[in-house]
Amino acid sequence: MNHQTRVYDNVFELLPNEQNPSPLVRINRMNPVPEFALYAKLEWMNPFGSVKDRAAWTMLQDLEHRGELGNGRGIVEPTSGNTGISLAAMARARGFHMRAVVPNKVPLEKKVLLKIAGAQLDVVSDELCPAPGLGDGSINIAKTHAKASRDKYAMPNQYENEKNVEAHFQTTGPEIWRQTEGKITHLFVSLGTCGTVTGTSRFLRSKNPNVKVIAVQPTEGHDVPGLRNVTQLGVSKLFDSSLVDDIVEVEFRLAYSRAMELCQTEGLLAGPSSGLIYEGAREIILRDKAGCGVMIFPDNIFKYTSNMMKHIPGLASGNQA
Amino acid sequence: MANYANPEVLVETDWVKANLGKPGLKLVEIDVDTKAYDAGHVPSAVGFNWQTQLQDQVRRDIIGPDAFEKLVGGAGISPSDIVILYGDNNNWFAAYGFWLFKIYGHNDVRLMNGGRVKWLNEPDKQMTTEVPKPAPVTYKASANHLDLRALIPQVFEAQKGGKWNLVDVRSPDEFTGKVIAPPGMSETAQRGGHIPGAKSIPWSTAVKPDGTFKSADELRSIYLDQKGVDPNKDTIAYCRIGERSSHTWFVLKYLLGIKNVKNYDGSWTEYGNLIAAPIEK
Repeated sequence: MNHQTRVYDNVFELLPNEQNPSPLVRINRMNPVPEFALYAKLEWMNPFGSVKDRAAWTMLQDLEHRGELGNGRGIVEPTSGNTGISLAAMARARGFHMRAVVPNKVPLEKKVLLKIAGAQLDVVSDELCPAPGLGDGSINIAKTHAKASRDKYAMPNQYENEKNVEAHFQTTGPEIWRQTEGKITHLFVSLGTCGTVTGTSRFLRSKNPNVKVIAVQPTEGHDVPGLRNVTQLGVSKLFDSSLVDDIVEVEFRLAYSRAMELCQTEGLLAGPSSGLIYEGAREIILRDKAGCGVMIFPDNIFKYTSNMMKHIPGLASGNQA
Repeated sequence: MANYANPEVLVETDWVKANLGKPGLKLVEIDVDTKAYDAGHVPSAVGFNWQTQLQDQVRRDIIGPDAFEKLVGGAGISPSDIVILYGDNNNWFAAYGFWLFKIYGHNDVRLMNGGRVKWLNEPDKQMTTEVPKPAPVTYKASANHLDLRALIPQVFEAQKGGKWNLVDVRSPDEFTGKVIAPPGMSETAQRGGHIPGAKSIPWSTAVKPDGTFKSADELRSIYLDQKGVDPNKDTIAYCRIGERSSHTWFVLKYLLGIKNVKNYDGSWTEYGNLIAAPIEK
């Protein structure tokens, strides 16, 4: 492994850590307060394409080290896409099979990518009529496989696995601290499993208790893949509200239009969750005026062309001769 | 479970675990489809598919007595057996099955409190993918209690007001007509809103966060005191396709002991499509 020449013995050596951090890129034309340094951490530069590489690798390594995998036993995981893509590609490269239980609303691109990455796909309909406190259909189906077919499946369970938090405590947090030379004042994140917000914030707060953590969430009824509104957080056991200073709610359609702007103005091919986080960050820096902010951009736009066509006028037309 | 009017119709997961394999005890998982059952189920449970096995596949109707006898007998269930039902989606479809078992006069049928999700999340409970192959028996339905079912003439009678409680168990947005059906549902209607005079009491009002039923005192307080269901009147529960309302029908009739409660399985997908039927929004 040589991070200077970037020659590696296997793809796993490319995974991010303090010595090999994902890039931090300053926002220029879209920063409304230039005195407030605003950076995007480009998680799509990770080898399997998203921030989920971190949790997936830590959870998979943990299962391997504990002897939970092998002899025909692979993994099953409920996923809205990115965790599944990372886990499937990693598991297959390590010689294990992977079954992904996916909510129906996940974009087609991600479902196909999961199959390409080597997952066996189980598409389940979401709740027929949500009841407070009850888990998603996909989580329960995955848990059922893990319980009824123990010889075939171990379940990493990103929603409850502390290794998800630990991954960010060990990598994302230290990377940001080092990359900003300890100057970070604001961390901007979205909420999904909450591994990112909890692990990264815990590390940064251990270095500087005054770092502000801002969670950005889409309005209820949203269709931004991978994200949760606080009302949907019951499924995650990893959310620690004591670490979050502000929860900014952003009209979910802005996730798509801001992603488009980031692509066309900053040259950052950011996905909709990044667009949402950018909008939340914009509102806070207009309020706080000075500081050094880091936005964690979970993935890029490539998996979301169908969602973008739904929300951005003009993308769906003029594509045929 | 003390103080429910009919506590014998509800069993806890621990009771099921302790009684698994006992002669005369039959378990049936009823799901909207059998994907969840196929992934894993309570050991010895057979699986019924609500869409294809509890519905007539030609006209819109419950299965008739012949089909019921064939289905239940084919699952190795005798009229004298204790039947434990449970299922996905918080036991909605299991409650519908319970309603069907009662229509056809099965003596001892019970719901497993909390359904498959509760069983799934309890570490001491096992699940299996093994599908039992029971020897078929001859099952003869002992009754045809169609008085448990509301048909459109009674619904029209009820919406005139005065003599009936009408309970709409759908979500508030369906009740007000903001949406006609929950997102993504294929069964829908031409119009949104609710049947005039109906009280909005969403099905989830009856359960705790873990999906088990609230206590009798809580249920009485909610349905009778707060929402004004009059226990001395006849009652009709409805939803969109009759499965969520089966759940509330079970609560009103068996847990609270209200005498004449009917499930309107035609529900909004029938009523909201009728020409000239009065609608409130």
